[in-house]
Amino acid sequence: MPKSLYIDPNKTLRPEEHKIVLPEIPVMQYKKSVKDELKEGNFTKDDLLRIYHDMFVIREFETMLNLVKTTGGYNGVEYNNPGPAHLSAGQEAAAVGMAYNLDTDDFIFGSHRSHGEILAKGLRSIQILPDEELEKVMNEFWDGATVAVAKTGFKGTTKELGIRFLLYGAMAEIFARTTGFNKGLGGSMHTFFTPFGIYPNNAIVGGSGSIAVGAALYKKVNRKKGIVVANLGDGAMARGPVLEGMTFASMDQFHTLWEGDMKGGLPVLINVMDNQYAMGGQTRGETMGYDFPARLGAGFNPEAWHAERVNGYDPLAVIDAFRRKKALLEKKEGPALLDVVTYRYSGHSPSDQSSYRTKEEIAAWEAEDCIVAYGKKLIEAGVADQAALDAIQKEVKDVIFDCYKLAIDEKVSPRMDLVKENELLGDMMFSNQSIDSLSDAKPDVLMPMEENPRVKQIAGKERFYKDKDGKPVSSMKMYNFRDGVFEAIVDRFYKDASLIAYGEENREWGGAFAVYRGLTEALPYHRLFNSPIAEAAIIGTALGYAMCGGRVIPEIMYCDFLGCCGDEIFNQLPKWQAMSGNILKMPVVVRVSVGSKYGAQHSQDWTSLCTHIPGLKVVFPVTPYDAKGLMNSALQGTDPVIFFESQRLYGIGEQFHEGGVPAEYYEIPLGEPDIKRAGKDVTFLTIGATLYRALKAADMLKEKYGMEAEVIDARTLVPFNYEKVIESVKKTGRIIIAGDATARGSFLNDLAANITELCFDYLDAAPVVLGSRNWITPCHELEEAFFPQPEWFLDAINEKIVPLKDYVPVSNQTDAQAIIRAKKGV
Amino acid sequence: MANVVIMPKQGQSVESCIVTEFKKKVGDKVAVGDILFSYETDKASFDEESKFEGTVLACFFQDNDEIPVLTNVMVIGNEGESFAEFAPDGAAAAAPAAAPAAAEAPKADAAAPAAVETPAAGPVVAGAPVSPRARKLAEEKGVDTAQVAGSGPHGRIIERDVIAAAGAPKSGLAKAMAAAGGFEAPARGTGLDGMVKGSDLKQWQPTHTDIAGEGEEFTVEKMSNMRKLIAKSMYNSLQNTAQLTHMLGADARRVQALRKKAKKALEEGRIDANITINDFVCYAVIKALQKFPKVNSHCLGDAMRIFKTVNLGCAVDTERGLMVPCVKNAENLNIAGLSKSLKKVADDCKKGSINPDLLASEAASFTVSNLGGFGVEWFTPIINVPQSAILGVGTIVPRPKDLGGGVYAFVPYMGLSLTYDHRAIDGGEATRFLKQVAVEIENLEVEF
Repeated sequence: MPKSLYIDPNKTLRPEEHKIVLPEIPVMQYKKSVKDELKEGNFTKDDLLRIYHDMFVIREFETMLNLVKTTGGYNGVEYNNPGPAHLSAGQEAAAVGMAYNLDTDDFIFGSHRSHGEILAKGLRSIQILPDEELEKVMNEFWDGATVAVAKTGFKGTTKELGIRFLLYGAMAEIFARTTGFNKGLGGSMHTFFTPFGIYPNNAIVGGSGSIAVGAALYKKVNRKKGIVVANLGDGAMARGPVLEGMTFASMDQFHTLWEGDMKGGLPVLINVMDNQYAMGGQTRGETMGYDFPARLGAGFNPEAWHAERVNGYDPLAVIDAFRRKKALLEKKEGPALLDVVTYRYSGHSPSDQSSYRTKEEIAAWEAEDCIVAYGKKLIEAGVADQAALDAIQKEVKDVIFDCYKLAIDEKVSPRMDLVKENELLGDMMFSNQSIDSLSDAKPDVLMPMEENPRVKQIAGKERFYKDKDGKPVSSMKMYNFRDGVFEAIVDRFYKDASLIAYGEENREWGGAFAVYRGLTEALPYHRLFNSPIAEAAIIGTALGYAMCGGRVIPEIMYCDFLGCCGDEIFNQLPKWQAMSGNILKMPVVVRVSVGSKYGAQHSQDWTSLCTHIPGLKVVFPVTPYDAKGLMNSALQGTDPVIFFESQRLYGIGEQFHEGGVPAEYYEIPLGEPDIKRAGKDVTFLTIGATLYRALKAADMLKEKYGMEAEVIDARTLVPFNYEKVIESVKKTGRIIIAGDATARGSFLNDLAANITELCFDYLDAAPVVLGSRNWITPCHELEEAFFPQPEWFLDAINEKIVPLKDYVPVSNQTDAQAIIRAKKGV
Repeated sequence: MANVVIMPKQGQSVESCIVTEFKKKVGDKVAVGDILFSYETDKASFDEESKFEGTVLACFFQDNDEIPVLTNVMVIGNEGESFAEFAPDGAAAAAPAAAPAAAEAPKADAAAPAAVETPAAGPVVAGAPVSPRARKLAEEKGVDTAQVAGSGPHGRIIERDVIAAAGAPKSGLAKAMAAAGGFEAPARGTGLDGMVKGSDLKQWQPTHTDIAGEGEEFTVEKMSNMRKLIAKSMYNSLQNTAQLTHMLGADARRVQALRKKAKKALEEGRIDANITINDFVCYAVIKALQKFPKVNSHCLGDAMRIFKTVNLGCAVDTERGLMVPCVKNAENLNIAGLSKSLKKVADDCKKGSINPDLLASEAASFTVSNLGGFGVEWFTPIINVPQSAILGVGTIVPRPKDLGGGVYAFVPYMGLSLTYDHRAIDGGEATRFLKQVAVEIENLEVEF
């Protein structure tokens, strides 16, 4: 909501134009012949033959996989590949045409059906990289382990070795070998190789739709060369992340608010591999209504994304389109959309019997086969004769057969032994690095930090909740939780030029909860901006940004909105570090605010959902000291962190850390719970804002019953060090684990189960879990019946741990009631 | 009339704001729309515009004061108008006193506790649940949790209950005995500093009040430890063996005659043992066992202990319950020696001075249980595992016997019931053994 953009009611209510004029979207306008292209000097004969070669590499590679899947072998050599194989035979011209104009600085992202794209981009990179650079890439990759196998029995040029390296590395990955591009942890649907500008393919349809936009954002903000191409299927154009990613990429602010060299569109191209089918559904005529995917561009911006529909059965037509689009993106006129018409011969996967289409249809497309047709054109134009083409085919078949034999050989291409080394994969889930800055550049800021009005305001605050005389500090003069988060973030903005932050209102307003107040003055638009209300794009773009090497803080305004970016949080963010074989880092700190007061869809604690998914670190500080220290750690690290903040506590002061919150930088390691109050009779372990109710319960317990509770704040849920808790339980023998998440299926139960196992002989009663009721969150006025209250702690002690003298319970904590509630499902 | 400017309430949760700068001072002329002062909440900053025209008559605060919302800040009117009545409570010095949030801060130093956590005395309940922590502590301190009253939820015995019940420290032996159950420990023992020693422990007699319905219809008695042991071993026998009983009568005329002869010898002082019918039967059994070593055995499930000696167990009814002491190497004894040995172990059982080693079921290789004295004819004795068999001896009753030549007469017969473990012995062998016992009884030769 920048004040500089005036919404003029006069122009809004009485516009000059009385209709929306959509630009025309070209369809199949390329008409040139091979001879024309030769005459214009756009290609040499070698170029044209290499196009033929590259297409045939893809065809033979997919043929090999198809034979392995359907006949259990290739060229008489048996192999069983139980993994998936979504093949792209038929789409070779589209893939090679796509890659032809790209260099290694240009990144491609793909889908589950991207073997063709990675081979095309890889072959292109091998072609354009100088030999010494290519050798360096191969020798440094897995310390030369992959190229060592590719070299077996080979004597030839560096480029020929590069091709063997590419084919072998991809095959080994598909067959789950440690010498594969991602140590065999990605597999067919996720194979990629960043040194060639090949970024992750995504097994979730449309997953790359927002990730690629984030990669383009990284290139723009960090002034990196190159464009980003997202290869998506026609079916993917139905997916939310694609539509949200396109919305994000279309933002006006790139042109209206971003300044200087940042002004202008994102260098991203959505390339639709329009192969006519989405599983068995036909996108044109059945499951979609766009007629042509290119039409979608018109919905996103006045330029209709410069959309074009091109003939993907003619590699030269695709090359022509990419040449023009790339130039446009480099002029900051992006984003762009291409609709490349193609056709897949094979089914969705080898288990698909193609029952939804006729043999005649497949035969008719095969009659137009892109490789055969292109070969004919080359002969017609006198570029080659049939013998030359046959020679290319033979050479390709030989090298693929060679690589196949190497890739299926246990001796040279072993798999990870996760049974013997059963911590190996576990140790790959997080990168656990500590890095001040992910950029060598000088951070773009608008003023020295000390001149910042918020920094100055905080400087005048008391950093503890009581002053020197022990008197409570007034809320306006007290350093509070949001100050803690702010200090850590502003510090990192001045340290790491790659750091950016965005979300739904992050700028002038300072975020819905004013944590970022002051950052607007400090940072230019390209480092802090308002995003569209599109959670899937907020997280999806952050993913792409981090994959490329940047640090980013996306914000989810309410925890309840995590569902809107479920795939990005649960399926993308946690997976890519391990799935890449630890090639990628994911330094994404997702700030998530946990609400209260606003009822069923704005007051939920969903920390447990995040702890359930391996690969995410989950943090939930509730004091200013912890907030600053944990945010510093999160930002210093290289792992995805879901950083929860409670809306109940933004204004709270520091009550625990002696001397108040330090003004200087400090880190609190992720995973260490903190004893907020020592005691000997019972332990309270809390998650989130429940800490303060537990402390109140501890007061009541001491005053009325003389029992001293030890109160431990979990602070971090993943990772979690149980040692302090075990020590406490050994002392007290009793524990209540409490948090605001609804009790059923919550992380509280996980803690309780583990504590029971780890401390069984020390327990004087079973650990008691106090979560919220398994209801909708009622309105604020009724919340006391829903969230754990101080009295519930005493009720639980009396009912389940040790009866309290003359006690009258407030809530029903009996076993019988627990059974009744469970029977009812509440 | 003068107009008052109040501190606006910016949002529901805002309780006070800080004035960053007063733009107008007392005496300044102001027009509608002029900015009077700038102020901020924790989230944002604002400018307060004048809605009135006139002169600033009063300003109750200074720059950087924190002012509760809806408090009067300024007065604007015509010069000379009164304004004192608009001064907020406590006049110009108003601001920071409010500090509302701080009042809710938790008390750091709570008052000393009034009560101390102490267990409420409750009844001792059979089978009460014990927390793992209490169980562990009971083992360490040598406390029998069966004697502890639980003060936890639903009568659970928790740590504090064990602490309360622990009493004086116990010696190693006392701990082990107490923790195993069945003994009562005094609060202080006879050892150093009141340490409880093994000898200080007494048999524990539980009293129970928790079995519902006790009263007119029935009383409740806790099973003694002894009773529990018997129950356990009997149940164990029937659960874990394949036992069945064969019954066969033996002509008792010979043993009756021997009994008469022995009685007379005793009276005449020729022997010093009162040899009973049971002693003769046992003597016969020992002879039979020597001929059937497989019966004189223990069945271990996958192996057998075949005894070279006869360690004869003999069931004894005592006040405390059934006891089965054993006479070792019984085959070496003559009838008088056997009689005296059997009498001694039985008496020791009744007195409670029996060597516990002789009571172990492993001690005997075969057992005889005689109910003849009570008039029982036949019964199915239960094997004292791991022994392979047990012989039940019944009373003597007259039965018709074919004396040959069509002559039938009533002859005294003794009922013999052999229970054997079919896992160890087959029916044929068991029958042959039982028959052998009868033969030995019917043809017993003894010297005295």
